Amino acid sequence: MTTEFVFATAQYDSGDWDSAPLLPANIIDTIARYTEITVAPTGAIVPLGDDRMLRYPLIYMTGHLPVRFSDAERRNVKRFVERGGLLFIDDHNHDVDGTFHKTATEEIARTVAPLAELPNNHPLYSAFFKFDGPPTTAHELNGWGDNLVHKHLMAVERNGRIGVLYSSKDYSSEWNYHPDSKRFLSVDNTKFAVNLVVYALTA
Amino acid sequence: MNAMTQLRVVRVILAIGALLRGIAWGLGAAFTLFAGAALIDLATPLSLDTRHLILAVAVVSAVSVGASMCWRDRGVLSLERVAMWIEERLPSLEYTLVTAVETGNVSYVAGVKTDRWRPIAIRRSGRALRTPLVVSVAAFAILLILPGGAVARMTLPHAGDSIERASVGGRSTASRLTPMIADVVPPRYTGEKPTSVDEPRDVRAIVGSALTISGRGDAKGIVARMGKDSVAATQRGDRWSIAMSVSTKAFAIRLTDRSFERIVAVEPVIDASPSVVLSAPAHDSVLRTPKGRIPLAANATDDFGVVSASFEYIVSSGEGETFKFKSGVIGSQKPTGKSVSLSSALSIDSLELKAGDIVHVRAVARDANDVSGPGIGVSETRTIRIARADEYDSVAVDAAGPADAEKSVISERMLIILAEALEKRRPSLRRDTLVGESRRIASDQKKLRRTVGDVVFTRLGGDPSGEEHTGEESPTRAKTMEEMLARADSATNQSSDPIDFEGGESPVVAVNKPLLEAYNAMWSASTELEIGEPGRALPHMRRALELIEKARKAERIYLRGAPPAVVIDVSRARLKGKDKGSASTRRALSAADSAAHSRLIRFANIVDLVQRDQKSAIDSLLVLRIDALADEPSFASALSDAADAMRRGRANEASIALARARRTLAGAPVARDSLARWSIVP
Repeated sequence: MTTEFVFATAQYDSGDWDSAPLLPANIIDTIARYTEITVAPTGAIVPLGDDRMLRYPLIYMTGHLPVRFSDAERRNVKRFVERGGLLFIDDHNHDVDGTFHKTATEEIARTVAPLAELPNNHPLYSAFFKFDGPPTTAHELNGWGDNLVHKHLMAVERNGRIGVLYSSKDYSSEWNYHPDSKRFLSVDNTKFAVNLVVYALTA
Repeated sequence: MNAMTQLRVVRVILAIGALLRGIAWGLGAAFTLFAGAALIDLATPLSLDTRHLILAVAVVSAVSVGASMCWRDRGVLSLERVAMWIEERLPSLEYTLVTAVETGNVSYVAGVKTDRWRPIAIRRSGRALRTPLVVSVAAFAILLILPGGAVARMTLPHAGDSIERASVGGRSTASRLTPMIADVVPPRYTGEKPTSVDEPRDVRAIVGSALTISGRGDAKGIVARMGKDSVAATQRGDRWSIAMSVSTKAFAIRLTDRSFERIVAVEPVIDASPSVVLSAPAHDSVLRTPKGRIPLAANATDDFGVVSASFEYIVSSGEGETFKFKSGVIGSQKPTGKSVSLSSALSIDSLELKAGDIVHVRAVARDANDVSGPGIGVSETRTIRIARADEYDSVAVDAAGPADAEKSVISERMLIILAEALEKRRPSLRRDTLVGESRRIASDQKKLRRTVGDVVFTRLGGDPSGEEHTGEESPTRAKTMEEMLARADSATNQSSDPIDFEGGESPVVAVNKPLLEAYNAMWSASTELEIGEPGRALPHMRRALELIEKARKAERIYLRGAPPAVVIDVSRARLKGKDKGSASTRRALSAADSAAHSRLIRFANIVDLVQRDQKSAIDSLLVLRIDALADEPSFASALSDAADAMRRGRANEASIALARARRTLAGAPVARDSLARWSIVP
């Protein structure tokens, strides 16, 4: 059993789960830059229907298309959350009227529990860097998707900690670039990912 | 009435007597058993199972005792035995009756007096009934004098009758929490019957059930506490009761009566959602053409019943970041029953699908749960994709990391806006102002073109700057797109592979073709802008933008299941690795070439000397040639040609050779951002 943190991307039967292929490497680079967390140099792709998904503390899931869990995926996601894992779902469409949003939230409600607004003073936002709430993305400011700047993330909490974190902010587009391109940014827009990882490992 | 007829009447009387005696003994046995059990139940409550057993034993005893008695007296059915029985009581017959029965000759008993036979038979039957009747009546009397409900608990035992049990020597100081029952009335939609539980400790009930706990006695002072809530008992006749509803969470009821306390745990039973299995289509599939009908079939089962079922579909169209969706419901049914088969067909034609569209189909069933539901069950989703026309012969390309883009580059869209604005202001501008502003746009257009060129050549495995930085007028520059494609093809060295060819071009070139076309369109645009013609540049610029958009979409092709593996050098990211700087972003200056510089000075001095002393100049040229032979052979060759021409007195040839020597020594001409030589601008 490895002791290093492995960034895991969820692979599910329906939808385009691999729509943000550069995001894992970018987040791993961010973790390496800002923390001393022992991090694996490459991410892992984890089928949600496979029991091995239970080995990962944080699983990232995204896509544009409808999310329909199979029975095995539903069972594993439920076990994953009950065991203290953190499933981070990001809507790559950034659209609350979109099919991904509707189907993913429906699946989570059926599998775990209905999502609720996560208060902006939640420990997640101070787990490493200090945030006043979820960072705004370029997609929101550009008025794409649902043309909204979402004030909150959504979450399902279990035993006082987040089990499922749901974002309509499209971090998948915001963070989906090669880590070498970070040097062109005046402010690193992936810092919030550090909070996600640190929260998943410590909360 | 003759003797034979009278004999038959006597047989009937005796048979009835035997039957009644058997019944009386049977009843006596049952009543005695009930009375004994009821007396024991009064002293110590018998469980429901025990009472069921006692009831069964009582019934069996009654039947078996009665039957055995009847069997023992089965002789009354025989005329010979009845005749013999009469002969025993009336010896004066001297066996004439028996002989008449055996021979069938009634003449033997002709004239026999038969008037005493019937009274004798009736008396005998009465004597036989006496004892069993006494026993039965006595036992029945005991049952009658027992307290109310005691007999019913034995004869009609059922769950919840503990509250009906009579207590012996009841005291006012006793707990009113015993006996106690819990009545559970399930929600009406379940169709389940109400149940009762004696002396409840754990009660399992469907969510939404009405739960009533009751006991005997006054309700005053009896309280039920559930967490922070408390409910007082209400009076119903001679009983107290507390009613509540079963919620989705388990809870404990703490009942108190003065110092007495009882706890009842309530475990809710969640109504499960329907289980739905989609049997057709059995697998995800890809259709080459959007035509036909796809049969749909599913089965739904529910613990209490399915009330509606249907198929749902979602059609997703688009790619990359742009998707559109439409959804619908087909094959709706309102079935009844716990198991439902659902079937329908999906008309692909009516959905008006296009290539690349994906249809997601699933079956959905709802139960009748109107309390905490409805419970919705869904099947797994099947996807039916319409194939793209070119997907069977195209190449999927792993997404590469973005090139290190130059941030000072202005986008093509912005350049178009600038060019349009300039064209609009053109009538009011002087020609030199127009050309100046147009050239500034051209300069930005060139930067963007170089960026595009770098992207293309980086992908093709060539030198990112090899194409553009050789100079505008370099003879090595590709003049046409075909030439550039050919060179790109050559760079990849893949054009020899016949498998990858499509329409005579390699797949790498095909994928990058939009960018290459954009590159050439930008070239044409910058040419027009250089001569102050923004209006003529605009079509090229718009074409370039269109092609960039096309290339952007083409980039978003990912190999499903195999995203690019980017390995992060963690040590480098933490500035702890061997890589000490960002050498990749800066180019070190080339070392100063002191030898070339020295030769350049010497060459200049020799050229000056030619005018004054040609012979000395020729000697100096030869000395310089020998010095340069080792590392500058082309320069040395030019010097040799120049000296030879000078020796032969051919000044023109000598000048050409000297010029060639100078160019060779100075290196390639430096590209300058200036107007082309053929410009018509003054």
